[in-house]
Amino acid sequence: MAKRTSEVLSSEKRAEANAIFNSIGDGAIATDEFGRITRVNPVALKLLQYTESELLGEWFPKIVVAMELNGKVLNLIDRPITRAFLTGQPVAAKLFYRRKDGQPLPVSINVSPILLNGKPLGAIELFRDITVEEEIDRMKSEFISLASHQLRTPLSAIKTYSHMLVDGYMGKITPTQKKALHTIISATNRMNELISTLLNITRIESGSIAATPKVLKVDRVVEEVLKELALMAADKSIATSLKVSGKGSTSIKTDNLILKEILTNLISNGIKYTPEGGRIDVTVKPRLADVLISITDTGWGIPKDVQNQIFSKFFRAHNIVRRETTGTGLGLYLVRGLIDILGGRIWFKSAEQAGTTFTFVLPRNKVFDETKESKAGLGAIKG
Amino acid sequence: MTNSHQPILYDKLIRLTHVYLGPAADRFISRQIQNHLNKEPRDLTREDLLQLIDWIRVTVSLLTDDNEVVEEYIAQVRNLAMAQDEGN
Repeated sequence: MAKRTSEVLSSEKRAEANAIFNSIGDGAIATDEFGRITRVNPVALKLLQYTESELLGEWFPKIVVAMELNGKVLNLIDRPITRAFLTGQPVAAKLFYRRKDGQPLPVSINVSPILLNGKPLGAIELFRDITVEEEIDRMKSEFISLASHQLRTPLSAIKTYSHMLVDGYMGKITPTQKKALHTIISATNRMNELISTLLNITRIESGSIAATPKVLKVDRVVEEVLKELALMAADKSIATSLKVSGKGSTSIKTDNLILKEILTNLISNGIKYTPEGGRIDVTVKPRLADVLISITDTGWGIPKDVQNQIFSKFFRAHNIVRRETTGTGLGLYLVRGLIDILGGRIWFKSAEQAGTTFTFVLPRNKVFDETKESKAGLGAIKG
Repeated sequence: MTNSHQPILYDKLIRLTHVYLGPAADRFISRQIQNHLNKEPRDLTREDLLQLIDWIRVTVSLLTDDNEVVEEYIAQVRNLAMAQDEGN
């Protein structure tokens, strides 16, 4: 009798769990420890256009192909579900799923490992259709791109004529007029930088930045960037240094311009957010499969409570907004996007009033070359 | 004590994983050690590896649908963790 009651209760609990799962307003897919689909709710079936029997028991990465925003099939090791297992943490991402009819579906995903007593049993993934948001985002990016291009033309004229005036091509000017013209030139330079950042961000978001990899020495590129920023550092009496730590070659195959943009952003950020008389130390450390680059400053640091937002678009930490009014909050967002393109990753350590170290690694060869010569071709399997 | 001429456990694990994952092995293993064990990859011990096996198994199961390959790889990782001969 007691056994029967417990069976009824257990079956009621299962029915309740099923009802909850099926009532979720987003697409929901659960997998077992082998990545096979164990549950799928009606919203997921509708979004992906499959029937339940077509999905249940199937290997999730194969039946539901994931693509990057530029349409390239996502490497399995970079899929959110794999990243959730690699980190043991929930992972949020935006990407495309290929529907049964072959059409791409833009989705926003949240995936978490399912744990029982600390042991991973599978994963649960929630996803929603973001077609409308993507379209609005695309229109916004197009507008920014167009507006930026249109702004550049009058800016060039302002800058050219200001230089001509300063250099005396249009007659003698007074020291006060010269000072005003230098302010105009400096403001147009800032505006040009902002436009470049906005254009780069729209290019990253639309997937239209293509890396042109060539073999280069990372420490040489760092040297060039430090030279270009020497005046900016000298203005604040900030000392800079470059150290190559450990043995091995600093040569990697990557895109020179993108790497320079990343370094310029990180080092100039360091200078901007470090008080006068501070230091910026750059370390390049060659490793087996990649090269690690660290930029350490003795700056104001990033408050702990906002450290998880630091790579978000338009985000600026409250301790910085008080001191520096000119930043846009786009630099680190851009940096992370560019490092993604080069197949690397970035992280940081920071303490208020002590300084910050940004570290990023770049593979010696781009990520899509990672899969050669593997026995089972695991890394090579695309979706 | 680790003999400087003997490869440490991490190197052995990378060599083994390389056979299955290719050059992605380093990234695959080092991220698991850093994230799940909160320690530097080169400090990996046999006890750590035993703790990590379940995570390695579920993650590698998302890289191939060939369960035999997964089991073969996991068996070798387990052997590495249980071996009493050398290294840390």
